[in-house]
Amino acid sequence: MSFDDKLGKFLLIALTGFALLMLIVPSAIIVAISFTEKAYIGFPPSGFSLKWYSELLDKQQLIDSAVTSLWIAFVTTVLSILIGIPAAFSLVRGRFLGRSEVTAFVVAPQMLPGMVIGIALLFFGAYFGIYQSNTMVIIAMTVFCLPFAIRVAMARLSIMDSTLDEASASLGSSRLGTFFRITIPQLLPGIVAGGAFVFIEAFDNITVALFTASPRSRPLSVELYNLVQFDSSPIVAAISSLEILFAFLIMLVLARSIGLDKLRV
Amino acid sequence: MNAHNNLIDSIFEILRKIILRGGIGPVIPAIIFLLFFFAMPLVVLCSFGFVSIDRGVVDWNSISLDHLTSTIKDTLFWHFWWRSFWVGTVSTILCLCLGYPVAYIYTLAGRGWQILILVATISPLLTSALVRTYAWMVILGGRRGVVNSILLDLDFIDRPIRFLYSDFSVILGMTQIHLPFMILPLITVLSARDFSLEQASLNLGASRLKTFFKIIVPISLPGIIAGFALVFAISYTNFIVPQLLGGGNYTTLAVQVYEFIVVILDWNKGAILAFLLLTSCFFFVLGINYIGNWAMKWKEVTR
Repeated sequence: MSFDDKLGKFLLIALTGFALLMLIVPSAIIVAISFTEKAYIGFPPSGFSLKWYSELLDKQQLIDSAVTSLWIAFVTTVLSILIGIPAAFSLVRGRFLGRSEVTAFVVAPQMLPGMVIGIALLFFGAYFGIYQSNTMVIIAMTVFCLPFAIRVAMARLSIMDSTLDEASASLGSSRLGTFFRITIPQLLPGIVAGGAFVFIEAFDNITVALFTASPRSRPLSVELYNLVQFDSSPIVAAISSLEILFAFLIMLVLARSIGLDKLRV
Repeated sequence: MNAHNNLIDSIFEILRKIILRGGIGPVIPAIIFLLFFFAMPLVVLCSFGFVSIDRGVVDWNSISLDHLTSTIKDTLFWHFWWRSFWVGTVSTILCLCLGYPVAYIYTLAGRGWQILILVATISPLLTSALVRTYAWMVILGGRRGVVNSILLDLDFIDRPIRFLYSDFSVILGMTQIHLPFMILPLITVLSARDFSLEQASLNLGASRLKTFFKIIVPISLPGIIAGFALVFAISYTNFIVPQLLGGGNYTTLAVQVYEFIVVILDWNKGAILAFLLLTSCFFFVLGINYIGNWAMKWKEVTR
């Protein structure tokens, strides 16, 4: 190996190491700080206590907003699956005019920043005299997340073997029977992965929620947006750590369902 | 008369086959949902920039380009636009420089390292961008910031360095937050590449460095372009990071949109700024793809 090659190899490994540390370390620091005993954020954190977590449970406002967020995420996930999975079927197995145009249209919201989707629905609602509410957040979030659900299901459907469906049908199974016994079990990993992705996105997305959420019942992300700016106590670190833990749980679901290397954003 | 009816019947039959038998049915709810809650709101958003809104009432007789022209004539607007543009560009280039080595190493690494890289890339992607921005506020903060307190403890500095509320903190935060969006498309393209090409290049006596830049980088261009366009678009339109890491005086085009719509409640101005942000972003993405296709011209020759 020449000197240039060695230098190149060194740079490659150094940059990769730096990038990986940069990705992991900030979250790790937040988790470490959340266990501090002191009343302010400091590094290195001193002592070990769970007092900021127990303090969290006393803040009714935070609990309420977490429940609001869970509800929003749940309904958004159900809606995205109910609308998205059938759509994916059409787009992969259907043969109709303008299929590629329709595909482009249903995944289009993903190309736009969440802010634009939020503002568009805010204005649209205001024009008809409808104001910000949880329902508006759910609708905006579904618009924003639907492309994820559709694309994950489409990817799964395109590698699925449709001859199995034909075999089942030719062996005398009814169309409904084939659908529930052959097609759905094969598609399930795609539904689970898409659903998990939509759930976490709808739970912690801020750019859509900031414009569509009502000031009276704010989702956790909007609540956190204010806390981050005006509250310097480690309680924010504790909420953040819980969200990081939540992200890891979702990642486990993704890894078990379709595998992390199959995930496309 | 009968023949006429048969013709109509057969046309209907063909149409029915195209529409129903073709299996368009299940996608119709998605189309209706998005027409109603995505396409129409988007039209409303764009049109709000061209009419007058007085106390929430839209005056459709007042259609004019006044808001557009007054915005474009404003030098402050160009100032904020320029900041959005260059901050987005620099952080996208940094993402490419950091993301490419990760994706390349991924394709050479063993299973264990591959899993580590995937976990390191995907776990931040699933963590709220707000939490990750907050992490940078804690790391880069003043006297009690992580970096400053370590440097102070080690007596490297006497008083804290002001990292936060600068171009540096905004670019650093944006780069870290958007890095996964660069790594994933690159991994997809680099994993699918034909490894025999680089083997041939090495066998023919090219150095590893030369093989990297002459073979591997060119065949991964589709991934580079996809990642670059995606990361630029989300950096250009991000308003959370400039707001939180840039501080109150750090304004970009996207921050302006937020301020006018949520804080100042001037929806006319907000709508026209959102319209300009969206269209300019669209043209930049088109431009990136255009340059990318031009750079990939050699592919046409080999075909």
